[in-house]
Amino acid sequence: MTVITHTQRRSRLAEMVDRPGGVSVGSALAKASANLEVHKDQARAIIGDGIAALLAPQSPDLPEAVRLDLAYAASSQIIDAANPFAMDDLCTAAKGLCDLLDAAPRQGGFDWRIVTVHAQAMKLLLALPPQDAEARTLILSNLHEVLKHKLSSGDQAG
Amino acid sequence: MTMLGDTLRESAIFNLEGAVTMVVDDSPFSMTLTSSALSGFGIRPAFTLGSGLEAKQILQDTPIDLLIVDTAMPDIDGFELVHWLRRSAPNPNAFAPVIMTASHIKRAQLKRARDCGANFVVTKPFSAGMLLERILWIARDNRPFLEVGDYFGPDRRFRNEIWDGEERRANMKNTGRKGGSISL
Repeated sequence: MTVITHTQRRSRLAEMVDRPGGVSVGSALAKASANLEVHKDQARAIIGDGIAALLAPQSPDLPEAVRLDLAYAASSQIIDAANPFAMDDLCTAAKGLCDLLDAAPRQGGFDWRIVTVHAQAMKLLLALPPQDAEARTLILSNLHEVLKHKLSSGDQAG
Repeated sequence: MTMLGDTLRESAIFNLEGAVTMVVDDSPFSMTLTSSALSGFGIRPAFTLGSGLEAKQILQDTPIDLLIVDTAMPDIDGFELVHWLRRSAPNPNAFAPVIMTASHIKRAQLKRARDCGANFVVTKPFSAGMLLERILWIARDNRPFLEVGDYFGPDRRFRNEIWDGEERRANMKNTGRKGGSISL
C-alpha cells in the first residue's frame, strides 16, 4: 500500500502558544476547576436522571433494539455528566454497562437485570461519601465480575 | 480534577487566548462543561455547535485553530466529520488540530475511531488537566500527515524508533528503509 507523507506546517496554535502573555498551567487549572464547580449540582441531577431512567420499568411494546439504545444513551449521559468531577467510579460502572449493552443481542433475550444491578450500584456510588473507598471498591469489584462473566461467556441472556 | 499529566508543570506558561476554537457536541451540558474548562485555559470558543452538519458548513470556509468534537451525534457523527475534514483539502482546516471526545466507543466503531484522522481520541473520564495537556501537546505536535489507503491524518506512530524486526509491509520491503514512508 502506498504511503504519502505530507510534512506538516507549523500550526497557528503552535505559533500562539508561546506568545507573550497568557497564563500558568496552575492558574488555568484552578480557573477551570472553579468554572466547572458551578455545574456540579446540575451534573449530579443529570446523573440522578440517568439512573432513574435505567431503573424505570421498560415498556414491553418497544422493540428490544430501541430499549437497548435508550439504556445505552442513559448510561452515556451519566459518563458525560460525571466526567470532569472526578467521579471515576461512576464512570467505570456506566462504562461497564455500556460495554454490556453494546454487546447485547439486538434481536432480544438481553438479561435486563444487568441494567438494574448497574443502576442500583451507581445510585449507591453517588450516595456514598467520597472517603468510603472500601465500599466503592467492593461495588466496582462486583460489577467487574458481572462484566467479566457476561462478556466472556457472550451470555447477556437471562 | 487537578491531576496533572507527566508533561504539565504548574508553573509553565502558555497563551491560547487568540485560538479560534470550535466545539461540537450535541449534548448541551457536555458543551457547557467543555466550554467552562476551555474558558479557564483562556480559550473562548468562537463556535459552539450542536450539530456535525452545522460544523461542516462553517469549516468549509472559516479557518480554525482547534477543533474539539464529540464522537456521538445524531446527524453526522464526529468520526464522519473528521474523516471529511481531513479529505477536504485545499481547505486549510484539513490539517487543523482535532481532539475527539467520547463517553464510550462501541466495538463496531473502534476502527472508525482509529482511522478518522483525529490527532487524539480521548475517552471519558478525563480531567481538565488532561484536556489541557492534550491541547498543549497537540499545539506542538509536528507529526507528518500520512495518506495510507483510506486513512488521512497524523502519523499514528507516536514513537520514532528503529524497528529491528522483519519488515512486513509490502511497499517498504524494497526501499531499504525501516520505519519510514514515501514522502512527496
